[in-house]
Amino acid sequence: MRPEPGGCCCRRTVRANGCVANGEVRNGYVRSSAAAAAAAAAGQIHHVTQNGGLYKRPFNEAFEETPMLVAVLTYVGYGVLTLFGYLRDFLRYWRIEKCHHATEREEQKDFVSLYQDFENFYTRNLYMRIRDNWNRPICSVPGARVDIMERQSHDYNWSFKYTGNIIKGVINMGSYNYLGFARNTGSCQEAAAKVLEEYGAGVCSTRQEIGNLDKHEELEELVARFLGVEAAMAYGMGFATNSMNIPALVGKGCLILSDELNHASLVLGARLSGATIRIFKHNSSGVHVQVCYIDMQSLEKLLKDAIVYGQPRTRRPWKKILILVEGIYSMEGSIVRLPEVIALKKKYKAYLYLDEAHSIGALGPTGRGVVEYFGLDPEDVDVMMGTFTKSFGASGGYIGGKKELIDYLRTHSHSAVYATSLSPPVVEQIITSMKCIMGQDGTSLGKECVQQLAENTRYFRRRLKEMGFIIYGNEDSPVVPLMLYMPAKIGAFGREMLKRNIGVVVVGFPATPIIESRARFCLSAAHTKEILDTALKEIDEVGDLLQLKYSRHRLVPLLDRPFDETTYEETED
Amino acid sequence: MATATEQWVLVEMVQALYEAPAYHLILEGILILWIIRLLFSKTYKLQERSDLTVKEKEELIEEWQPEPLVPPVPKDHPALNYNIVSGPPSHKTVVNGKECINFASFNFLGLLDNPRVKAAALASLKKYGVGTCGPRGFYGTFDVHLDLEDRLAKFMKTEEAIIYSYGFATIASAIPAYSKRGDIVFVDRAACFAIQKGLQASRSDIKLFKHNDMADLERLLKEQEIEDQKNPRKARVTRRFIVVEGLYMNTGTICPLPELVKLKYKYKARIFLEESLSFGVLGEHGRGVTEHYGINIDDIDLISANMENALASIGGFCCGRSFVIDHQRLSGQGYCFSASLPPLLAAAAIEALNIMEENPVLKEKCGQIHKALQGISGLKVVGESLSPAFHLQLEESTGSREQDVRLLQEIVDQCMNRSIALTQARYLEKEEKCLPPPSIRVVVTVEQTEEELERAASTIKEVAQAVLL
Repeated sequence: MRPEPGGCCCRRTVRANGCVANGEVRNGYVRSSAAAAAAAAAGQIHHVTQNGGLYKRPFNEAFEETPMLVAVLTYVGYGVLTLFGYLRDFLRYWRIEKCHHATEREEQKDFVSLYQDFENFYTRNLYMRIRDNWNRPICSVPGARVDIMERQSHDYNWSFKYTGNIIKGVINMGSYNYLGFARNTGSCQEAAAKVLEEYGAGVCSTRQEIGNLDKHEELEELVARFLGVEAAMAYGMGFATNSMNIPALVGKGCLILSDELNHASLVLGARLSGATIRIFKHNSSGVHVQVCYIDMQSLEKLLKDAIVYGQPRTRRPWKKILILVEGIYSMEGSIVRLPEVIALKKKYKAYLYLDEAHSIGALGPTGRGVVEYFGLDPEDVDVMMGTFTKSFGASGGYIGGKKELIDYLRTHSHSAVYATSLSPPVVEQIITSMKCIMGQDGTSLGKECVQQLAENTRYFRRRLKEMGFIIYGNEDSPVVPLMLYMPAKIGAFGREMLKRNIGVVVVGFPATPIIESRARFCLSAAHTKEILDTALKEIDEVGDLLQLKYSRHRLVPLLDRPFDETTYEETED
Repeated sequence: MATATEQWVLVEMVQALYEAPAYHLILEGILILWIIRLLFSKTYKLQERSDLTVKEKEELIEEWQPEPLVPPVPKDHPALNYNIVSGPPSHKTVVNGKECINFASFNFLGLLDNPRVKAAALASLKKYGVGTCGPRGFYGTFDVHLDLEDRLAKFMKTEEAIIYSYGFATIASAIPAYSKRGDIVFVDRAACFAIQKGLQASRSDIKLFKHNDMADLERLLKEQEIEDQKNPRKARVTRRFIVVEGLYMNTGTICPLPELVKLKYKYKARIFLEESLSFGVLGEHGRGVTEHYGINIDDIDLISANMENALASIGGFCCGRSFVIDHQRLSGQGYCFSASLPPLLAAAAIEALNIMEENPVLKEKCGQIHKALQGISGLKVVGESLSPAFHLQLEESTGSREQDVRLLQEIVDQCMNRSIALTQARYLEKEEKCLPPPSIRVVVTVEQTEEELERAASTIKEVAQAVLL
């Protein structure tokens, strides 16, 4: 997918490579020598955090550095593509090559062009070549397996024709169905169906006017209990929950500190608020980063400077400081270093806005998200935000927190005043699935799902690492990015996997830094071991075919295989 | 001549130097050194370096007290305690435990509890479940979405349509997909909040014209034309847009589209039309303002509407020519980054469209209640007689908005007690660009019988008299 509009550069600047001399570690983490020795022994590059007891569990997160040769070849690849792009644009200009894209109306040819031709260079010449890997239409539940509608293109992806065939039973590694609640049978569906028959699909009014149903109140009470906060409020769209509520919380004279990899909705919300925005390096909160130069730009440095120097120009102190972070970062598979962020926010009296879009339900022993994962107190997070789209198999978003916060949002949230409230059957789906996770339905199904997901995650990640792929992120994150690097491999990987009946998500620039194109697997509790093994076998095969096993620190399989140098040599060839 | 004199002076000087006594030279030497010293020495003490010590910084940090995350909300805030609707918010609805006839929901065509719509949604629920678990790009595109887009495009007679999963996000994402920093947007002062947010996100230059005042718009366009002539190079890359609503949510008035189209071609500005209120209501088939005025839909660059009013589902759509609409598939933030619309809601919208195509009638009723509500002492009707949603405002403000709101709320409450569900139009008072005066918004639907309309009108009349006099 090529989802990022041009303005995203502030969000994804290319990161400086790691601070450690050997360049193994990317984001400001220092291994203690003991940990380093242990890691080296295991042929692994992660850092076991040893941070004065802030962490109650090992925090293993790795971002292996891009091999030099691969980086160079990737740039060459983009160079070739760009050259050909110019050549083809030239041919199109002189009508030697047929133009497929839609054109302006004759009557409006003399208007200022609606979008710059240059803007679309990337779309036209790079994205279009591999467009078939995105927007694949499905025609079944987005569960562990999906049915995909077969489509063909006779004009190099400029348009698609549906053949009418359906590719059945494709293993779904793309949907955010973490807990497997995307189902068309079972208690959730039945409950939703009942509510649908009673209430209808829509609401036709806003919360503040006459669209506040008893179901909404029931949902909000349940969400508050689930999160362990005083109160909560639910909204009709996850994206809008961020973009329409951040402006209610901060405004002019306030400072927003935002992780560089935050989702577009957080970025938009921050911009709409009118507050000053400063970006800190991804996940570098800087409490214990002493050796690195990165800490100069870390969250702590920003906080300190903000308070000491106040607002630029007017020199007034900031009214308040809001830190925006996500629980799991959906492109990196990393987990926020929440214990440090909370320590910092307490020390500097800032407020914390935590977006748990991907982590709610997917992390923590009982699925309560990243706060539970670290064994922290939800009280310490001022604004708990999340979505119902992913783990709950529904749609919409929520904000939880203190009663005062929710009261304020009820009166001042843009969503509550101007946007239609959540659809009742969707509300019912959330209520039923949430009760299931909480064990209130009288079964242990929910708990088993959470455990299954955690197991699947560990297993899948470990096996991929054993195969020698470069896998980003935290070992407990169900979002698993597998590095592809080269632009041609984006298309090749997506197509080869679909050929083998596996649906994966591939992403490239501008959703990732230019050379860090990747494939992304989203694990689900609905994946059985058999499904995972099939997927792994095919990934292994495609990995060999496309020479994707770049890792120089291949994880030794548990069967005591000696460290394998061949992968290293292969990539160098 | 000049050089000769100069040379002579120089020679004379050198001579004078030879002839001068030693003490003189020494004195002058000392003087020169003195001057040099004066030039290079600092005559004043530099202020002490302003760097703060670590301790001072710590003190500052200790000292800083942020404002609370949110200010406390007064317990009697008019918007704090919501009405609770038990059961479906359809024609007859239970508000705060009392059964009322609904004159507040935008359920214009009564499709909310239509059995066919429900059946279609149910069938979809049984096939696809509820959520889509992904954005459109990543396995979140369902065949139902494609069908709905197709159906909408066909219905509106445009080349392409694109659906969003949230009505508010539709126009708010569509505007910044095209209009960027430096572009100019001419927008009606009465434009709804979603448009305002879209404009803010676009960071374009915004020019407000008086509500429905084409002369004022033309004045602004002319001003811009003159500006453009001064700087033709910039003008060549500055896009111009006119953003208007079909029926205005905030005023219930209709936009003068024929004049707007004339202005569009005269000044080469593109028109974006928001039709959330007029879609499904205006025009013979419910295609909105374009059909109402008989204007070729291709003359409007982009039409957006939500599916949350007439269609009684959730979400919104934009339609127009492929050249325009397709751009949003990569640039519409609310499209790319959000999970797609739950298939059951898309299926409901498709069925609602089918029903809408079969029997569209609403207009007479709007006119009827409009007439019936005229002449209430103390209240005036604001809005077109063909608009299904219009406003009742106080004829004379009490002078304070708070007091006005309280009076109107009293009317709403008393009507509610007499089984007529009404609501005030809610606004975020500090956020609105041009805050409309407080009002009660009355919504007419096809389900209300003549008798009910009459009853509502007489109830409002009686209550208003009791409250206002």
